[in-house]
Amino acid sequence: MNELFLMTHVLFGVGCMVTAVWLFVDVLHAHEENLTRIRRVSWAAAILMWLAFFIGGGWYVVSYPADKAIILKGPWPFAHSYFMETKEHLVIMLLVLATYLPIAASNNLAANPEARRVVLWVAAAIVLLALLVEGHGAIIAMGVKVALLAKQH
Amino acid sequence: MENAPVSKYTISFGLSVALSSVINALLVVVKEKSQAVLAALQKISGHQWVTHSAIVLILFGFFGWLFARANGGQGLQMTVNRLIGTILAGVVTGGVIIIGFYLIGD
Repeated sequence: MNELFLMTHVLFGVGCMVTAVWLFVDVLHAHEENLTRIRRVSWAAAILMWLAFFIGGGWYVVSYPADKAIILKGPWPFAHSYFMETKEHLVIMLLVLATYLPIAASNNLAANPEARRVVLWVAAAIVLLALLVEGHGAIIAMGVKVALLAKQH
Repeated sequence: MENAPVSKYTISFGLSVALSSVINALLVVVKEKSQAVLAALQKISGHQWVTHSAIVLILFGFFGWLFARANGGQGLQMTVNRLIGTILAGVVTGGVIIIGFYLIGD
């Protein structure tokens, strides 16, 4: 059950990243007809990131200490000492950026190319940062796996 | 300087993104280097990371609100190029501090 809970964290994080890509493409072709959709998608990206943050945060506080102990005894201690330590703080910046997205998208993007550029840069930053954070998450999970495998041998 | 063709909240909260990203990174360094700060963060909410996150999010909201009230309620003025540059500089600086600290400083 704990693992399913953790997978929803990943699901919402990936959802935020994919939604930011969608937003980027939609803003490149912004016009009056897709303005409402652009604003809804920007809200969706923010909401998905908040869900990923709360679920991941809850898991981190309650369940991660057991995984941390396993990782630190295994062959990949850096999966915690570098990757988790970095991830848990980069993700706060990601949350702030995603929260800013609906604010930036509230301008008239159809009429205003300058406002479009703000949203494009913020969406691109979210995608890149989310990819980095997802990669960190994969290495943390692998840190647990290699530690458990090493214990069997 | 040209007037920015975006809302005052786009500018004020954009600047707040940059500022809170750097504060987030500096708080990482301070709490990892000072047991007293780490213990204080731990005591406030029961978990240092929860308090850390709450501080950054509260500051993001506070600075966004504060910058929007500047200039007699018109908000801070700047060009869009400068706004984008400031946001990216803040996020990259914050990221580099965090990554650099755990790579070589910790």
